[in-house]
Amino acid sequence: MTLATLIGIFFALCGAGLLATLALPERQAPRVLAWSGALASFFILWAGAAALLGGESFRLSLWTLPLLGRLSLGLDRMGGLFLLIGGLVTLPVSVFSLGYLQRYQGKYNLRAFGLLYLALLASLALIPLAADAFTFLIAWEAMSLLSFFLVAFEHERQRAVQAGYLMLAVGELGTLAVALAFLLLAGAAGGLDFPALRASSVGLGATMRWTIFLLSFFGFGVKAGLVPVNFWLPRAHPEAPGNVSALLSAVILNLGIYGILRFNGDLLPINSVGPGLVVLAIGVLSALVGILYATIENDLKTLLAHSSIENMGIITASLGAGFIFTATGHPVPAAIAFLAALYHLVNHSVYKALLFLGAGTLDAQLGTRDLDRLGGLLKRMPWLGLFMLIGALSIAGLPPLGGFVSEWLSLQVMLRSVELASVGIKVAFALAGVGLALTLALAVTCFVKTFAMGFLGLARSEVAEAAREGPRSALIPLGFLAGLCLLLGLGATYVIPALDGVVRPLAGTSAAAALVPPFFATHPKQAELPPAFAADFHDLGAQLGKNFLPGRGLVVLHRGGAKNPVIFAMSTAYTFVVLLLLLLVVYLAVHWGPAWRRQVTYQPRWAGGLKKLLPEMTYTATGFANPVRVIFEAIFRPTVVENTQDAAREHFRTLIRREHRQVHLIDRLVLKPIAWGALAIADGLARMHHGRINAYAGYGLLVLLIVLILARLL
Amino acid sequence: MSEWVLQGLRTGIKTTHYPDARERAPGVSPGRPVGGSYPADQAEALLARCPTGALRYQDGQVIIDYRRCVHCFRCARELKTPLTWEMDYEWAGANTPGLTGPFGRSVHILVVDTGDCGACLNEVKQLNNPYYNMHRLGFFITPTPRQADILLVVGALSAPMREPLLQAYQAMPDPKRVVAVGACALSGSLFGPSFACGTGVSELLPVAVEVPGQPPPPLAILHGLLVAVGRRPAVPLSSPNLPMPIPVIEEVHSRP
Amino acid sequence: MKDMQALCEQARQLWPSEVQALRIDEAGRLGELRCAPQTLPELADWLFNELSYQFAGLIVEEAGRHWELRYLFYGQAGRLYLLSEQPLAERSFPSLSTRVHAADWQEREAEDLFGLVFSGHPRLGDFVLHDDLWPEGLEPMRRSFTGTRPVSDRQARTDWRPRRIVQAPGAFVMPIGPIYGGATESAHFLLETVGEEVIRAFPRLFYQYRGVEKRAEGAPFSQGLLLAERFAARSAFAHALAYSRAIEALSAVELPPRARQLRVFFAELERFRHHLGTIEGICTSTGLAVAASQAALLEEEALRLSGALAGHRYLFGLAAPGGLAHDVPAAACREAVSQAQAIRRRAQELHQRLRRSSSFLDRLEQVGLISPEQARDHGLVGPVARASGLSRDLRQAQPYSGYPSCSFRVPCEREGDGYARLRVFFAEIDQAVELMAQAAQDLPRGPVRAECRPAAGAALGWVEAPVGAAFHWVRLDESGRIMRYRLMTPSFANWHGFHLAAEGFAFQDFPIILATFGLSVAENDR
Repeated sequence: MTLATLIGIFFALCGAGLLATLALPERQAPRVLAWSGALASFFILWAGAAALLGGESFRLSLWTLPLLGRLSLGLDRMGGLFLLIGGLVTLPVSVFSLGYLQRYQGKYNLRAFGLLYLALLASLALIPLAADAFTFLIAWEAMSLLSFFLVAFEHERQRAVQAGYLMLAVGELGTLAVALAFLLLAGAAGGLDFPALRASSVGLGATMRWTIFLLSFFGFGVKAGLVPVNFWLPRAHPEAPGNVSALLSAVILNLGIYGILRFNGDLLPINSVGPGLVVLAIGVLSALVGILYATIENDLKTLLAHSSIENMGIITASLGAGFIFTATGHPVPAAIAFLAALYHLVNHSVYKALLFLGAGTLDAQLGTRDLDRLGGLLKRMPWLGLFMLIGALSIAGLPPLGGFVSEWLSLQVMLRSVELASVGIKVAFALAGVGLALTLALAVTCFVKTFAMGFLGLARSEVAEAAREGPRSALIPLGFLAGLCLLLGLGATYVIPALDGVVRPLAGTSAAAALVPPFFATHPKQAELPPAFAADFHDLGAQLGKNFLPGRGLVVLHRGGAKNPVIFAMSTAYTFVVLLLLLLVVYLAVHWGPAWRRQVTYQPRWAGGLKKLLPEMTYTATGFANPVRVIFEAIFRPTVVENTQDAAREHFRTLIRREHRQVHLIDRLVLKPIAWGALAIADGLARMHHGRINAYAGYGLLVLLIVLILARLL
Repeated sequence: MSEWVLQGLRTGIKTTHYPDARERAPGVSPGRPVGGSYPADQAEALLARCPTGALRYQDGQVIIDYRRCVHCFRCARELKTPLTWEMDYEWAGANTPGLTGPFGRSVHILVVDTGDCGACLNEVKQLNNPYYNMHRLGFFITPTPRQADILLVVGALSAPMREPLLQAYQAMPDPKRVVAVGACALSGSLFGPSFACGTGVSELLPVAVEVPGQPPPPLAILHGLLVAVGRRPAVPLSSPNLPMPIPVIEEVHSRP
Repeated sequence: MKDMQALCEQARQLWPSEVQALRIDEAGRLGELRCAPQTLPELADWLFNELSYQFAGLIVEEAGRHWELRYLFYGQAGRLYLLSEQPLAERSFPSLSTRVHAADWQEREAEDLFGLVFSGHPRLGDFVLHDDLWPEGLEPMRRSFTGTRPVSDRQARTDWRPRRIVQAPGAFVMPIGPIYGGATESAHFLLETVGEEVIRAFPRLFYQYRGVEKRAEGAPFSQGLLLAERFAARSAFAHALAYSRAIEALSAVELPPRARQLRVFFAELERFRHHLGTIEGICTSTGLAVAASQAALLEEEALRLSGALAGHRYLFGLAAPGGLAHDVPAAACREAVSQAQAIRRRAQELHQRLRRSSSFLDRLEQVGLISPEQARDHGLVGPVARASGLSRDLRQAQPYSGYPSCSFRVPCEREGDGYARLRVFFAEIDQAVELMAQAAQDLPRGPVRAECRPAAGAALGWVEAPVGAAFHWVRLDESGRIMRYRLMTPSFANWHGFHLAAEGFAFQDFPIILATFGLSVAENDR
């Protein structure tokens, strides 16, 4: 099937779903949503894969509107990648919705949810498909509005509605900036479709380039959740229904990155170091701020939302590094940087969808997401526990899962700065590397906490005690996503060439050639290293894939030159096999060992001779993260409110109530000054309204004067 | 920091040669009475002075049950014919064969205090000081029963500690041995039986090695540990060596 | 207010109808006031807070058909009992604890063991006989309770939950023990926390409760001596001495001069050895291995010194009513002093070296703070109180044995942190060796023991044990058997205030703070 057919079927399915939702009774809405959503996702997935892997492209002109020019759709590899990721996430999310939506039965309008969801699905696909600014902005606006309605779907809860409005308002500000950027670009091009914009960008001056960069980066940064304009994100994402949260974090944030890439990599490629540095710095700061707040957070969904900021930060930092390398003429590191960013993007979408759906399942089954009240769930929810473990391991960047590969590559990119000439940029890279390393270390802490406090130990509340495994409609999508996490790790040598197609036009060279070189491949001509050296490598068993997998087995991290033929490489597949073998050895040693080893007795846990270990005697999530809270106190700036009650005298203390109140760093540094400024201006303006006619006349005269002077000067 | 290293080196080796040679330094043991043949009248005076009933008179001999002797010195002082006093310290008696095989040279000990006055416990702690340094013999104190081979119990088996003690024993992997240290842990001495104390650890657990004394000096405890791993022979728990009624070990785990 | 007579008179004038002077004894150093129960808190408040008398303990007696509660205070004019009586059926007494906080644990103990109720006490129960370990309503110290057989009905409550007072998001209780650490005394601690910082510390002691006071009842006084000596071995001589002094007070016996002086000698030898052990504990808790080994060497040498001199490493079987159980030659004492001086010299070197080890000092300085006010309110005693600026020492305040003729200085520090306590321990080691030398110098010749034939009645014996002030109160019947034995130990007083030092510090400071208190669980639990 051609791309056009696939995309046509997708929109047809969305449309059919919308009609069926309207036509069928309300209780059927989840079923319609799940079927049409999943089928449509399948086709969009197919289309994306065909564009990304097959290299097919597609172009379709719609209508020509007066003043705005021709509206058109198109798909290249970059668009294909984003369609593919979207499909990968929306497919399980649609299936998940079938069971999840039952909790709203009778409380909220399920038909409305179905309509909004399917429409959002269509708008999400339309954004990477848009091939002109107008279509893009229309799709973007539709996505913003629809996601607002879905975030505020539980409209009886005030917090949800407020969070939705905040998201909408900040998002609209972003859209405005993006629209301005398009207009400025279009002003030079004389047309709104992308090829025209791309063609016109060559002649732009430096100031114009900076202006357009800043406007577009701000606009898309809002959507991608980058500092300092992400204060809406930790509020909105947790408030949305579970399945919508997954879409918000795993698909919609990506579109922000898509915008940044489309603008700065494709339409108006960055050709100086400055913008790259801005992107790098914003990325690293986002990553740090995100993970710090994630680590101390106890609400599972808020934690995941903060972690999304962190991951978007890592992706953006890699993009920034890529822009800098491109601008300084280092195509190979640039290619690796872009590849790391895209790889991480794919990983993030998969594991964040997994974790958000898992959090949604917990919420649905237990009615709480507070890690302090969970505990011991692994025994009661073994499958959910397993899938969440895989998600947590992947997001924490542990081998052999996907997160490990992309986070390693991101760090490695920072080290490639040694090839640069400028000391200033080197310092910037070094700082960024330190920041990213800290981020990744904290991520491990954060997700060890998430899994250990949620699923291990004793149940710390009655609801956790009574937990039951989630429905199959939740477990199947979760299993699918967990499998993807593993595949993205094991198949690193396949994923990298697949993403290479997107990277090549951005960096001008191939990353796959550097990372997964074909020097072990069968063709002797392709070998870059002396055959003896390659043979040694092969004998060591490093290229596992050669014998029973038809591909490359190693991701090369560093290689020396001809004089010093040394290679550092990693192979997640190899690691995985070794891990499995080790597990097998341990299993055999335990079960087939000598007779005296085989005596297995089970005794109750040792609790220091305590009569009974009670749940309140075990570590809480807050307690686990408290060292981080103490170390980074300067950033969190908590105010401790303590009050005590005594019986008779202070010696008989009956109550110590202690509360940590803290305002998020971004709220403190950005939101508060803005709010304060706005109020101050409003105050000032209010003071001008004192009701004296001649004063108002004076204002009028003054304004006239200023306008005249300005007109004269310009 | 280097100052400490130097100081450590300057101190030299202080460690006793026991069990390869006898330790003869003064003050390493309080000693204990030795039984023997006494005329009835003298024996009566001796028995009357013993506060814990450790002495018996049988067939013309004063017999000492070391499980009950608390070194009050009342049978040794202010008497015309006191009991003779020996200054040895190899006192431990055994009920079961010691641990053998791989446990001989790396033995981990869980110490549980069940209402000890602090003396036995302090003497156990002294085994870690450079004078006795039990690490050289492969003995290590561990805080968890999961890694313990020997459960060393001191104290008069106070009621609140019965269950923790039993838990600790059950949490230990096999093979394991219980070493009861001190008169309180062997017989309850001054404190048991009562509403708060028992009549010895054997009430609750199968005791393999018994180290009498109040407190047994570190070398006696070391001897007990060596007996528990079969590296030293045990000695009788009474004097003169007459077969004492071996305490009946109740079914383990029966009564917490 | 030097005179006991004047003190009693003043009390009678303040509460003319409720307070009645019963007796003034021991050359005007001991007084007893009968006091109506409802007036007791006011009177105690006046003594404790206005006259700065210290509270030593509460002695509950079931005397015939009446409860007799004696609150023991001591201060400038000597020792004063406040006697409060009520019929047995009336179990409720007004609580002192809200005004005299030092009485808190004493009242809780009496509540658990006698079934008394102290009205107005905010926190009763689950103290000695923990709810999850002992059956309800046991009241083992009542006369009607037979203490010689195990409690057959051992059904304790199974729904026990820790008392929690910290309400903070994510707060939890960190349990420690009862079996914890390497070779430690059994005690259970509950630390309330939200991670890192100990917000509230609850020691749950009495896992080693042996019912010594009950065990002593009905026993001849010579058997009581063994119990007094062997319930807390780290201060065995001090407690045996206090008990002997109580029996001597009942016997009206004149102590031989040689015994007086030798008692000082051995009491100081014990303090010397005890503090070396405490210092070893502090070094071990900070993980300073070489220093811990050095201190352990010194402790073992002190133990050997004691063993060689007195026959027993912990000085068991030495103290006796009327003097000492056996004599020690003067030459041996002088030899022991020179050995002790050698040990002290090395202890001083150790101290100097510790003072230069910043990693060690960091763990002690400004850690485990007790302010002088807290120390006073909680009635802390011994080196812990002296490290918080309270120069309290029974050897000077209520001198006994050979101490009146000795000259010494009571070391005192103001900071109240772990380092101040360490300095006090080192300084007391110095003082102890000084006192040993003084005692051994001109040892009078003569017997070391006078015959003791105690009459029926009650008497108090007190000493400054290594941990602090210890009081033994004994009532004998005509046949010399013990009717009631009350042990008021310094560890009991200091454990009461221990939580103050642990609160507000991190988990990893907890074992260090514990070590700097040098407390004995056995001495507390009895």
